[in-house]
Amino acid sequence: MTSISKRKEESHLVNGGVKQSTWSKAFSSNAVWEEKDEFLDVIYWLRQIIAIILGVIWGVAPLKGFLGIAIFCIINAGVLYVYFSSFQQIDEEEYGGTWELTKEGFMTSFALFLVGLVMSIKMYKLLKYNKN
Amino acid sequence: MVMMTLKGNKSKMRMLLMKSLTGITWVLVYRTEKYKRLKAEVEKQSKKLEKKKETITESAGRQQKKKIERQEEKLKNNNRDLSMVRMKSMFAIGFCFTALMGMFNSIFDGRVVAKLPFVPLSYIQGLSHRNLLGEDYTDCSFIFLYILCTMSIRQNIQKMLGLAPSRAATKQAGGFLGPPPQAAKFS
Repeated sequence: MTSISKRKEESHLVNGGVKQSTWSKAFSSNAVWEEKDEFLDVIYWLRQIIAIILGVIWGVAPLKGFLGIAIFCIINAGVLYVYFSSFQQIDEEEYGGTWELTKEGFMTSFALFLVGLVMSIKMYKLLKYNKN
Repeated sequence: MVMMTLKGNKSKMRMLLMKSLTGITWVLVYRTEKYKRLKAEVEKQSKKLEKKKETITESAGRQQKKKIERQEEKLKNNNRDLSMVRMKSMFAIGFCFTALMGMFNSIFDGRVVAKLPFVPLSYIQGLSHRNLLGEDYTDCSFIFLYILCTMSIRQNIQKMLGLAPSRAATKQAGGFLGPPPQAAKFS
């Protein structure tokens, strides 16, 4: 409790009494999250960003088959796990456990990954065709 | 080259469709005072109820349980009112979707709109290879790509614009459709 209130105090002092914005908290380690929903939103959007980036890279690589999908799932879950357990060091039980945090926005990010993958394959072929 | 450009245009059309439907919903529903008031009320009550359910113990008194049941009832009523307000836009969107789906089906029926970099599972092939000729299951039909776009782009646009219901509200609404998470405690 004492460490949490100390951290809250620090964030206020550091910002001169102004609340840190969500994204600046997201990229600072051990940030204080007063609202659970705020942190869950950060997890959600980070997942979507990872999905788009990996979708584009997998399309250009190209990484085909279920191996590509499996690697995406592992990277997506793994990176966010490291983010919330090591970087933010949050208490997973407060958010309903590791599973709840892992499934936050997962299906949407998977659909976004597939859309990004299909689009990047098309665009890559188009550019390649134009070049030839 | 033409086919590839056509496929690129199809994706743009899909994105435009998602954005326009969200726009229609915003004009008809989301910007009205009644909707904003109801949504704020539902979210406030959901969060309050969630917090109360978290703190309540097995040995909680009858009065506490009755209080929670009354709050659940109030939340259910507000959810119902919110659904009634959304009904207007749901009709408009339903009508647009039906018309546009009919149009897109006639344009894209039997056409391969994309190539998947994997062979989908057998029970998904019915959707991903719908109305397509041949045995190459990496060919993607319009409907599969459309569903993926709905799940990803539309959800994200709604969330980005703050039009998606809060997690607490979704959890409580899910409880009204099926057994709520803490129902066993009060039976």
